[in-house]
Amino acid sequence: MSSELPRTLEHYRHAVRAHELSAEEYLDETRQLIERGDPQVKAFLHLRLDTARSDAQASNPSSPLAGAPIAVKDNIMMAGERCTCGSRILEHYVAPYSATAVQLLLAAGAVVPGKTNLDEFAMGSSTENSAFFPTHNPADPTRVPGGSSGGSTAAVAAGFALGAIGSDTGGSVRQPAAFCGVVGFKPTYGLVSRYGLVAFGSSLDCIGPIARSVRDAAIMMNVMAAHDPKDATSVKRPHVDFEAALQPTLAGKRVGIIRELQGLDVQPEIAAAMEMTRKAAVKSGASIVDVSVPHILSALPVYYIIAPAECSANLGRFDGVRYGLHIDGRDMTETYSRTRNAGFGTEVKRRILIGAFVLSAGYYDAYYRKASSVRQLIADELDAALQSADVLLTPTTPTTAFRIGAVTNPLEMYKADVFTIPANLAGAPAVSFPAGKDAAGLPIGLQLMGPRWSDAELLSSANVLFTALGGES
Amino acid sequence: MTTTIGLEIHVQLATQTKMFCGCGTAFGDAPNTHVCPVCLGLPGALPTLNAEAVRLATRIATALGCTVHEVSEFSRKNYFYPDLPKSYQITQFDRPIATGGSLPIVTERGARSIRLTRAHIEEDAGKSMHAADITLGGETLVDFNRCGMPLIEIVTEPDMQSGDEAYEFLRNLRRLVRWLGVSSGDMEKGAMRCDVNVSVSPDPAKRGTKVEIKNLNSFRSVKRAIDYEEQRQAQCLGDCTPIMTETRHFDEVQGTTTAMRSKEASNDYRYFPEPDLPLLQLDPAELASLRAQMPELPWEVQSRFERDLSLSPYDAALLTEERSTAEFFQQAIAFYDNPKKVASYMGTEVAKLLNERGKTLTETQLTPATLAGLLMMVEHNAISNTASKDVLPLLMDTGTTPMEAVRSLGLEQVSDTSAIEGFAREVIAENVIQVEQFRGGKEAVLGFLVGQLMKKSKGKANPKLAGDTLRRLLK
Amino acid sequence: MAMIIDKETLEHVASLARLEITAEEEGPLLGDLERILGYVAQLSSVDTSAIVGKRPAMTELRPDEPCEGLTREEGLGGAPAMYDGFVVVQNVMGAEDE
Repeated sequence: MSSELPRTLEHYRHAVRAHELSAEEYLDETRQLIERGDPQVKAFLHLRLDTARSDAQASNPSSPLAGAPIAVKDNIMMAGERCTCGSRILEHYVAPYSATAVQLLLAAGAVVPGKTNLDEFAMGSSTENSAFFPTHNPADPTRVPGGSSGGSTAAVAAGFALGAIGSDTGGSVRQPAAFCGVVGFKPTYGLVSRYGLVAFGSSLDCIGPIARSVRDAAIMMNVMAAHDPKDATSVKRPHVDFEAALQPTLAGKRVGIIRELQGLDVQPEIAAAMEMTRKAAVKSGASIVDVSVPHILSALPVYYIIAPAECSANLGRFDGVRYGLHIDGRDMTETYSRTRNAGFGTEVKRRILIGAFVLSAGYYDAYYRKASSVRQLIADELDAALQSADVLLTPTTPTTAFRIGAVTNPLEMYKADVFTIPANLAGAPAVSFPAGKDAAGLPIGLQLMGPRWSDAELLSSANVLFTALGGES
Repeated sequence: MTTTIGLEIHVQLATQTKMFCGCGTAFGDAPNTHVCPVCLGLPGALPTLNAEAVRLATRIATALGCTVHEVSEFSRKNYFYPDLPKSYQITQFDRPIATGGSLPIVTERGARSIRLTRAHIEEDAGKSMHAADITLGGETLVDFNRCGMPLIEIVTEPDMQSGDEAYEFLRNLRRLVRWLGVSSGDMEKGAMRCDVNVSVSPDPAKRGTKVEIKNLNSFRSVKRAIDYEEQRQAQCLGDCTPIMTETRHFDEVQGTTTAMRSKEASNDYRYFPEPDLPLLQLDPAELASLRAQMPELPWEVQSRFERDLSLSPYDAALLTEERSTAEFFQQAIAFYDNPKKVASYMGTEVAKLLNERGKTLTETQLTPATLAGLLMMVEHNAISNTASKDVLPLLMDTGTTPMEAVRSLGLEQVSDTSAIEGFAREVIAENVIQVEQFRGGKEAVLGFLVGQLMKKSKGKANPKLAGDTLRRLLK
Repeated sequence: MAMIIDKETLEHVASLARLEITAEEEGPLLGDLERILGYVAQLSSVDTSAIVGKRPAMTELRPDEPCEGLTREEGLGGAPAMYDGFVVVQNVMGAEDE
């Protein structure tokens, strides 16, 4: 990429407003990168570069995003564009309306170069579950970009977009951000509208920004964080300027380390990055505190009951009656089964079956009801821990990006979500930021979590550490 | 033989928009023209709860004497059916908006109070029409206009014991929902639907096997179905045929119930709390104000009419069919304090004209004041009762006053004694035979003579005066 | 140790979810599900007796005002079969309005 071209939203916007660069010029450069590089990375499922060019030409430099290319994960509806959710069941589906978050981005001057690849219906941690093809990590094409928002994070990492949005249900924005070496933010549940995000785990799903810097994520949050009357779980909050709220210091902040996570097996370089970051925090004026979240290790099993339960209901609408894949059977029951069997991949089927099971008569109390109670317990414990700390620092993932095809055991794949899942259960904000590389040159990501509604403060703290560790890669 | 009956009634709430989206609720428009991402179950759509639906539901639940719960929760009821786009229905399972309550009914058996189990709000599914209705073969057509319409589901305790009681329950419930403006209650337009559970047992202490009956399109069908089912189950018990716990379909034409081909093995709905909707929290102050502002309920008004105004049960029932009728009546008697006469006139002449015009009272120009005015003119002999029947249409169809109407029709009653005497002498002269018959003792003939006088006066003579005058002259 | 999920249960659950499990899929799926369900079953040992549910309540309800929806074409343009404005499906067993 040309060293003269801006690499962050912040710099791009500045350049455009200073007339050093036009939105079309930037898009033309980006287009070249995409055409050269995406055949290998395969971040995109569909491209709309010609239309994007006209959008760029029409964009207004004074708008918040000034015509910047922002990629959209293909489980978020954009009117007139296909929305496949990485699934054969929606392979040819065209969205008749746009998600609120997309509308906000477009109104703020974003230009969408295309829709990005994902694990089918956002279920997975590697983007290998896409029905179409896997995405390759730009840092090492033999490796996964992470998932489920692997296409979005790869696009940003490879320079195919200045930012992207993804969805995070159990870590699907943060984990691929870590694997690809970019910033991925999961806001407090209810801060960004879910209207138009194809639901996977309704009480867990969040749309979040993916960017090269924490400041860029804050810029995107200024556009996307708004109460939406079309989403009953959207919460009206007092206005915050996330960018203006970024402070240069951690003075007076308490950074919490969760005791119960210390025993977990973590790649040595990631442990080293944690140590380095702790030191940077202290250097910036923070104190390190030890906190306890006694049942944090129960978060994984809780998630793998609740998320499948909700998804089993959410995916019921894909029956071929009104849209999507349709395969005839001898009667309606058979038509449903044939359509869904052909349309859904294995991981999706697994989760639907688990979900139907844990909700079914005789099992509901022991599984779903129990999981809901433990969820509340963990959320309460996190709240308590966040009385004695302002933010909690953890690795985002136990390892760096693994090779494509290396992890085939579903349970093994699930267990890697151990650090990211608690924030989804609690509805708390959490951000993954790049923290160096491992011996093989693969990106390392670390995570900060905060209390609900502390999104601005959280981004501010993350920005300090992000900057201290070298900033945008 | 004891029959035990429980009803599950779905009432469509009279809102402008659907339960969970802003689509319109008009009935009868072209198929699939009131749709949006939410009610079509498109990917990414989310439900938002209609404030008016909640208000109407709380109003009816309060009127039914239910305990209205300040906090209630929505649930997903999961099953697959072409008219259910999300493959789940948003309803209330564990924590409904209301529990308990009751509705009074009166049948030949007497007055009873039918207890309710619960009431909750939920969305309707779309409408499926089957091959028999249209010319395609072996297929079903689906219209999603109805999908997402707001419903309140009311479940009764199995307190009813006959088809008549079920019928009266439905009639009274319909009256109530219309009275409160909560629903049109029109079963023909699907605004009220009813499923029935019936069991028959030889032993009053033990309940029999419960059978569900669906596809009931009118109150009458409900009664017919129950009557048939009662008979069928009694027969089974008699000849020791086992009664299956099943769902049966009511055949309108035959008046019988038949076993439905088994749908699916078990319907495990896998209810769980709806994650897309937070808890519904009602404002206790609003609830209290709702209770305080509850109007007199139709049966309360009905009783009061019978008790305090000495109206017949028939008249009281008729006048309290619709709230607007009862209010009209009460305003009319405020002008003209003769409840019996007003009630009678409303039940006969007024009702007849409304029927002819296919209109309701409030759709006409007749007002309590003009009706009262008309009846007072009759009472004061300004016009005859017969003449009033000609005046009434004018009052109904135009905004005129009784005085103007009478004048324009030239119907002022003649009570001038000399004019009447003049007519009477003419009648006597022209009807010699009848005069002889009357003088000979045939009382009834006076009626004929009065009629002749009325004809001569073009109906304007005061009939009583006419009769008295004739009698006097014939002595 | 008793299986949490056997073949019959799997078939029942699959039928609830309208998924057709093929013979080849069955074995591996049963294995995966058994392992996953076995893993999540550890929650039974967590004491939740003191837990109080804390779901938030809706703050504002939607006003009862009509708003623009989708045209039939926009909403159902991708439907596999339409007739006279209706969506066409195969006859459903024992069907009438729910």
